[in-house]
Amino acid sequence: MDDVNVSLFDHDWNTTLYFFLLNADEHIYMRYGGRDSASPDTYLNLQSLELAAAQGLELHREYAGGQIKPAPLPRPVFPREMPLLVERTFALNKCVECHLIGDFQNLQREHDGTLDKLTHVYRSPDIKTLGIILDVPKGLVVKEARGAVQAAGMKTGDRIAALNGTPVWTFGDLQYCYDKVDRQAERIQITVDRGGQSASLSVVLPPRWWWTDVRYRLSSVEPKTYFEDRPLTDEEKRKFGLKLDGFASQVTYIPGVARMKMVKCHDLLVGDIIFAVDGKDRDPLANTADLFIKLTKQPGDAATLDVLRNGERIRMPLTTDRVNFRK
Amino acid sequence: MHHKFVGSLCVLACLARLAAAPMPAQDDSVKWLNNYQAALRQAKQTHKPIFLEFRCEA
Repeated sequence: MDDVNVSLFDHDWNTTLYFFLLNADEHIYMRYGGRDSASPDTYLNLQSLELAAAQGLELHREYAGGQIKPAPLPRPVFPREMPLLVERTFALNKCVECHLIGDFQNLQREHDGTLDKLTHVYRSPDIKTLGIILDVPKGLVVKEARGAVQAAGMKTGDRIAALNGTPVWTFGDLQYCYDKVDRQAERIQITVDRGGQSASLSVVLPPRWWWTDVRYRLSSVEPKTYFEDRPLTDEEKRKFGLKLDGFASQVTYIPGVARMKMVKCHDLLVGDIIFAVDGKDRDPLANTADLFIKLTKQPGDAATLDVLRNGERIRMPLTTDRVNFRK
Repeated sequence: MHHKFVGSLCVLACLARLAAAPMPAQDDSVKWLNNYQAALRQAKQTHKPIFLEFRCEA
C-alpha cells in the first residue's frame, strides 16, 4: 500500500473486494464493489461486473472522443504521509491492511479534533434505509421501491442514473456518492432512467438515514460499550412512564467478554431498560442509549446510566473501551 | 493478508492488482500487473483503460 494514492482511490476501506476502472490520466470512470452489514457479497455479482466493465469501455471511448471532461484530481495522499499509521505500522515493520487505512484516518481525525462520527464512523449508509432494493445482477436496476423512494415515485424497473447530479453506473458508485451526502441533509435528488426517459425524484431522507450497522467493522474511535440494545416502542415508553421523544432502550445482548474483563465495564443485565445517560434522556440523533454513548463519548470515557430493572430505578456506572486489533 | 512484494518490501498487505487491458470475456490469460506506475505507462501506450483491484483478506 506504500505507493497507493489513498486520496485518488478513496473508498470505504472496510470492504473485501473493490475495483476501479480508470484511464492513463487517472480519470476514474467507475467503482465496483462495496457491501452492506449483512455480507461482503450482497452487491457483488459476475453479471453486474460484466455490465459495469462494458459500460466502462463505453465511457473510455467517450473520453477518447472528448465527450467526457476529466475530473479534477484530488491532492495525492500516500500512507507514508499519515503520521499515526507510519508510527504504528511502517516504523515497526508491520503490514498495512486496507481497513487500517480507514481506521488510522479516523484516529488522525480524532487526534486533530476533526472527527465527525456521522460522516467518518457511519460510512456507507445503507440504501435499503431509503427503500431501494436492487436487482443485483442488473446493476442499478430497481427490483423494488419501498419507503422514502417509493414515496418519491421510484418504481420497479427504474435504473438509477445519478445521485444529486453525479452520474452513477454501479452500486459502488451509488454507495460512494450516497456516503458523501451531508449528514445534515434532509433530501436528495435521484435521477432514474425509466424506459428511455429520465425522471428526477426528490427523496426525503428518513430520520437517522445515515445510520448503518457497523458491528462488522473494526473501529478504534468508536467507544466499546459491551452491550446491544433496541429502542423501546411508544407503547412501552408509556407503560414505563418514560418520555416518548427519549432514547430509552432495552438491553438485548451482553457479550461474554464483558464479564471476563479485569475491569468491569458495567453491571447491566439483558432486559434492563436504560432511560438516561449522564442525566440526559433524549437526543436529536440517537434513538437508543448505546447509540447516544457511541456518538457522544470517546473510547475510555465513563458514563452514568439510569436503568429500570424489575420496576426499580437504579443508577450505575459504565466504562467504555477502545478496540485494539492487530496493527 | 497478502504480501504482493517479496523480500524487503513486505509492507504491502492489501493486494492491489492492475490490468492495463480490457477484460476479454472468454480469455483466461489476463495478465495482471502489480505496479501502478507501470500500469499507467502501459495504459498510455496502448490507449486502454486500467482495471484496478483492491482485495483485503484480513
